[in-house]
Amino acid sequence: MTGAAPAGGSAAPARAGGSAAPAPGRRGVRTALGVLGAVLLGGLVWEGYKAVGDPDGTLLFGVRVLPRADDAAMPHLTEILGRFGDPERVGGDPIWLVVTNAGLVTLRSVAVGFLAGALVGLLLAVLMQRLRWVRRGLLPYVVLSQTVPLIALAPVIAGWGGRLSIGSYPWQPWMSVATIAAYLAFFPIAVGLLRGLTSPAPIAEELMRSYAAGWWRTLVKLRLPAATPYLYPALRLAGAAAVVGAVVGEISTGTRGGIGRLVIEYSREATTDPAKVYTALLGAVLLGLLVAGVVGLAEILLTPGRRASMR
Amino acid sequence: MTTTEHEPAVEITGVTKVFNPGRPDRVTALTGVDLTVRRGEFVSLIGPSGCGKSTLLRLVADLIPVSEGTVRVAGKPARTARLDREYGIAFQQAGLFEWRTVQRNVELPLELRGTGRRERRVRAREMLELVGLADFAGHYPAQLSGGMQQRVAIARALAVHPPLLLMDEPFGALDEMTRERLQDELLRVCARTGTSTIFVTHSIPEAVYLSDRVVVMSARPGRITAEIDIELAQRNETTRQTAEFFAGITRVRQALRGGPAAQRPDEAGPVGEAEPADPAVSR
Repeated sequence: MTGAAPAGGSAAPARAGGSAAPAPGRRGVRTALGVLGAVLLGGLVWEGYKAVGDPDGTLLFGVRVLPRADDAAMPHLTEILGRFGDPERVGGDPIWLVVTNAGLVTLRSVAVGFLAGALVGLLLAVLMQRLRWVRRGLLPYVVLSQTVPLIALAPVIAGWGGRLSIGSYPWQPWMSVATIAAYLAFFPIAVGLLRGLTSPAPIAEELMRSYAAGWWRTLVKLRLPAATPYLYPALRLAGAAAVVGAVVGEISTGTRGGIGRLVIEYSREATTDPAKVYTALLGAVLLGLLVAGVVGLAEILLTPGRRASMR
Repeated sequence: MTTTEHEPAVEITGVTKVFNPGRPDRVTALTGVDLTVRRGEFVSLIGPSGCGKSTLLRLVADLIPVSEGTVRVAGKPARTARLDREYGIAFQQAGLFEWRTVQRNVELPLELRGTGRRERRVRAREMLELVGLADFAGHYPAQLSGGMQQRVAIARALAVHPPLLLMDEPFGALDEMTRERLQDELLRVCARTGTSTIFVTHSIPEAVYLSDRVVVMSARPGRITAEIDIELAQRNETTRQTAEFFAGITRVRQALRGGPAAQRPDEAGPVGEAEPADPAVSR
């Protein structure tokens, strides 16, 4: 940002956003190019290994240290991409349509789980900042919650969900999946935001006290704005966690329709149709990239221009 | 402002402050402090590290509670005065909110008082002009130098037109040139607004230059050992070379060395050595 004569008051933020617009834009283009480059590199590594690797894998003292490179284990990329156009089974929809639909089903669980997790994380962080005894009592459980194996937890959540209903609307299986996604997503937010809420210097807090500002005003005017640099990395972690939670949740609760289920179904056909399972896997990867992209975009849109200009 | 005309700006009576009472790490920061600051008076607190001068300031600001005694600000208990926003405060660090522009930083105390948007803007403008930073209203704190940030902090402290200004080594982290310029600016502002001021400092020349009265404190336990009235005919560039200025410095220095100024004239250093004041304090 240059030292142009600044307009005062409410005009200033608008100006800052306007003048800083090229910076986030350029950042977005650079990120997109980076993603594209990473995808190309991944493809090259795949085909490269396939070209030079031993079809039966490489053994070292009887232990396989490199995977098989034959067509059953690692189909050619062209074959995998081509498989998207073919029907799922004889007379069925093409695979790209099936994977896309499954991706959208999972995306709903991811989105709902992410938002619910973010909300729970926010409330927990605020509560833990406000009350020391809550922090002391709750934080160990928050950490502990992430060490419970998801596989063990998923059937329990699905079982509880079966007995619940929201008003007259019965509990849907995808809600169990969303709950599992939220269960993973709330953690980085709660921990990251707690860190951010407690980040202001003591003199900033004294200043608010000298203004006779109560807890709520201190939260809104000082703690939350001070916490935003901690919030964005937490949101990215939460986004990734929500995707993992939803996919694994679908698999371990046996929920139909989503991409997690598709991975399991297609892997059963891995010996006869090896390219098929990779289509579902690619679908899951794209879903993860999509969520990461949305969170990143939200960050760029919500960040005042000055942060971009200061980096 | 609800200040009654005849009340002193600050009245401290028999104040003692003990940190961590009843614990092994108990510290008596202040004992038996009495101090009255008249309206419009500029009072400096000076003393070695650990003498409790910052603690005393925080007691006046009601940022920490007293253990014994009473603190009254503008005729009210300190807590009521804080809730009524009877004072503005500035610390050694500017403590600006980095996500707000300079303008919005100065507006913050007004915002918390519920002042309307239009008046906030006008008032913040006025304060920034006072400290000579009107051109930087749209900048963010990270784009300013340390001295400029400190001026913003002072503008912020003055924005609500407080009858009392509390300053805790506000120029401590600044270079000598910036420091002297800000001292002049502060005097100008205080004179124009009729603000009473309590100013904590480590620097003898700074205390003498700014103050109507210098309050000398000593440590372990923190207490007031002397109060020295400073009478300078005027305060400007030339004042710093006058004999009365050096005389004031000498008296404060003697008081800091422990002993009533009048009784120990032989300990007065040569007048020319008055400049490097800080080492003398720490000795």
